[in-house]
Amino acid sequence: MVIDLDRCTGCEACVVACHAENNIATVGEDQAARARAMHWIRVERYYEGEFPNVKTKFMPVPCQQCGAAPCEPVCPTFASYHTIEGLNGQVYNRCIGTRYCANACPYNTRFFNFYNPVWDKPLDLQLNPDVSVRSEGIMEKCTFCVQRIKAGEVQAAAEKRLVKDGEIQPACVQSCPTQAMVFGDLSDPESEASRLARSNRATRLLDELGTFPKVTYLQRGSWHDNENA
Amino acid sequence: MERRDFLKISALSGAAAALDACGNPEHQLIRFIPEEDLTPGIATWKPSVCTLCPAGCGMLVRVMQGDAEVVRKGQLGLLKMGLAKKLEGNPAHPVNEGKLCPRGQAGLQVTYHPDRIRTPLVRSGPRGSGQFKEVTWDEATKQLAGQLSALASGKQQDRLAMVVPPLRGVKKSLLGAFAAALKAPAPVEFAFLDGGVVAAADAASFGPAEPPTADLGHSNYVLSFGADFLGTWNSPVAQSLAYGRMRAGRPGKRGKLVHFEPRISLTAGNADEWIPCRPGTEGALALSLCHVILRDKLAPAADAGHAGTLIEGWAQGLPDFDPEKAEQQTGVPAATIVRIAHEAATHQPAVALAGDSATAHTSGLFNALAVNALNALLGSAGKPGGILFTPAWTPSLGKTAEKSQAGGTLPALVKRIQSGPDAVKALLLFGANPVFAAPAAMQVREALEKVPFIASFGSFIDETSILADVILPDHSPLESWLDDAPVSGTARTVAKVAAPAMEPVHNTRGTPDVLLDVAHQLGGEAATALPWKSYDEALKAAFAPLQHEKGSVSATDPDEFWSKVREQGGWWSAEEKSLPVGGGKGSGVAATAAAPAFDGGADAYAFHLLPFATQMQYDGSLAHLPWMQEAPDPLSTVMWGSWVELNPATAKKLGIEQGNLVEVASQHGSVRAPALLAPGIAPDVVAMPVGQGHESFTRYASERGANPIAILAPMTVTGTDALAWAATRVKVARVGEGKIILFGARLHEMPEDVKHR
Repeated sequence: MVIDLDRCTGCEACVVACHAENNIATVGEDQAARARAMHWIRVERYYEGEFPNVKTKFMPVPCQQCGAAPCEPVCPTFASYHTIEGLNGQVYNRCIGTRYCANACPYNTRFFNFYNPVWDKPLDLQLNPDVSVRSEGIMEKCTFCVQRIKAGEVQAAAEKRLVKDGEIQPACVQSCPTQAMVFGDLSDPESEASRLARSNRATRLLDELGTFPKVTYLQRGSWHDNENA
Repeated sequence: MERRDFLKISALSGAAAALDACGNPEHQLIRFIPEEDLTPGIATWKPSVCTLCPAGCGMLVRVMQGDAEVVRKGQLGLLKMGLAKKLEGNPAHPVNEGKLCPRGQAGLQVTYHPDRIRTPLVRSGPRGSGQFKEVTWDEATKQLAGQLSALASGKQQDRLAMVVPPLRGVKKSLLGAFAAALKAPAPVEFAFLDGGVVAAADAASFGPAEPPTADLGHSNYVLSFGADFLGTWNSPVAQSLAYGRMRAGRPGKRGKLVHFEPRISLTAGNADEWIPCRPGTEGALALSLCHVILRDKLAPAADAGHAGTLIEGWAQGLPDFDPEKAEQQTGVPAATIVRIAHEAATHQPAVALAGDSATAHTSGLFNALAVNALNALLGSAGKPGGILFTPAWTPSLGKTAEKSQAGGTLPALVKRIQSGPDAVKALLLFGANPVFAAPAAMQVREALEKVPFIASFGSFIDETSILADVILPDHSPLESWLDDAPVSGTARTVAKVAAPAMEPVHNTRGTPDVLLDVAHQLGGEAATALPWKSYDEALKAAFAPLQHEKGSVSATDPDEFWSKVREQGGWWSAEEKSLPVGGGKGSGVAATAAAPAFDGGADAYAFHLLPFATQMQYDGSLAHLPWMQEAPDPLSTVMWGSWVELNPATAKKLGIEQGNLVEVASQHGSVRAPALLAPGIAPDVVAMPVGQGHESFTRYASERGANPIAILAPMTVTGTDALAWAATRVKVARVGEGKIILFGARLHEMPEDVKHR
């Protein structure tokens, strides 16, 4: 995935789209106060400087789907594992809730279910039947909408063709009003995501930890780049 | 234990488990025979229209089969039905091109809200107590028709009033026709954020009476005066799409965004330069930019055409707005003004936008006219990369609709109600919530309490509908026939229509159908003026003329046309063609309006109160959705509450720390909320989000946070009748310890009593 910070406005359409797609529980005021709100993707906001010279920056942070993920080797039950396609998978029915993975994750993108989720009826009718609902004691995280990836692959296989670039979009990418997010196959050098990941604006979050994150951020440009061009 | 005993025990517990299952009420529900033919696990996509803000984005609804507990003919049971599971933007739609904002995404929760009104209600306790009893649709419509025919037989139809949110398209025509057929005054339109000032300024400067469509995608320089166009202003998704293209959509070119406002909004946060100016002086700032452009001969005065002639002193080069004088007035350094003016004039196409607080001061209309003049001077009016005007669709439902009289404003309605006993005998409410969204000083609640009969068509019990005598709940948008005619976000004519995406979950009825039913019950003229059996017939009739226009749907016969339009979610013109920008109607706003007036003296009330619509709760109409409560505000990261935003230096002076409970008091009342210290706000301004502070608005929003609208002064924007909601001064004091929930809070800031479970 590539996220262009020059386009991102921090509007959080991705955050709500993710909740809707992935059956993420709303924990309520008291649990939210205990830092237990579950946002598989969040928008981080940074202020720099003091009034009146203040700069604001926004950065959406989903699971970085690390190539060498710190969350995987620490799991005693192999609930956190590396899928053949390179995702950091989470098998809910293997998870016993040690939370080692959340401690190991440098990006804070893993969320623990302290309680069974509750949807006041009939809010339960909004649940996406393609995604399992997680119960108390289970760790959950961004999956890059693996249900959409699988559905796209099945569809392509049924039509006896390869998956087209841009055909599969996670919920956050599909919703993004500024088209800041691009999803694609990084092992295909011709994909739009690969092309953007080679941009001279490309950076990776906490890359120095050796996690090999699969999310590439394109840094904000400045107006003067334009002037000099 | 012997093996035999073990088997016995397991058999017993197995039986017990089976009996337990019988005790589960879900297993006792009868199953209705499904009305739809659906394949389990396969999603179908149905077009729909987002109704949560005036942008009018097109949606696709993912519908899948599921079991819903529903009431059919008075019997509770389980029904296998198509259920909306996810909302996406409609990629074919000219306004939002497949994209959707966070509020649009949450539209699903309106339909499935646990506190939606499920069946018609009649008041059973004192007014405002919230006690209602369930009645049948026959009883409820009979009550309404009875009231209306009593008015008709007493020749008192002028004593009927209707309050609606701003409407467009066929629904507006239908309500107008309904009012005209009853010989009642036209509906009063009301919303906190109504955009009327910008439309009035555009009508005066350029002709079209509508908000502009900013063609940011082709702009090199964007000047935003208060307009939070990436957050909540006008058509946020269309503007965000264009903004993305402005930033990174053109190889080698990156447009610049400069935002003028006393506080960092979502748009200011994304600007290359955020320049705080004194509240209400945005127009003076725009004219100072014009002054520099004229003085330094970057463009001749005549370029601005009619929009320039509206400004006093334009031909003389705006002598009152030289940068030094403007620095005194606006607080923006003269050197900055000169630099920005030169940058804008030399990096065309450049575009300027005015909105939100800049147009909600007493000087709001003047500010908007000044920004229009700047646009005209920069040569961006009606040009690519500038501001365009949507050739909006205006459907016709025949002569009756056009005959409807002007409805007037909410303050005029309040005055009418209070002008004497029974001056208004019956009031119909169509989802607007003026008791919450109008200042307490306007006395809307007190006025409504005097009306003998109030009927509400809303889906929730809010501050206004709690006063109703009878509630006839509408379908949710996803269960309704919808239509819309966007006035911004595209240069195409767009006429949208969508059939219900799903069957109703509750015992509700579409309001347009109820009105048609009531009109037929009344008979006579009302019945002949509204001949359609149902709303979709009226829609089909209104869309029929479009068959012969060049657009996205071509068909040979009317039925084929109608079915193709519904399949596509609407009709839009083939060509992008902005309305012509010509001479406007002129305006009577003098240059003296450049100085904004405020309610409350500067000595006693030291701070400007800046209310603002939030990304999640909008103007408060979305505070009832749990997703919108738990999604953190993008700037403050506050969840499940409201806050008072203060500059850290100001807070220090007042002895206020982050999270302290603070009282904000104007001449008209006070509210309390926790303090949030943020660097992005001027020291003499305090900002509060509108949206929270509901007294009655479902389990998720009631008694949560504070409503700053309540304490606003009932001032109007000079030259219009719009509320000047940014013109109130307040005083601020710490009153105790408070609680604020920040998503950005670090772990060590967690309350000490929190231990592992």
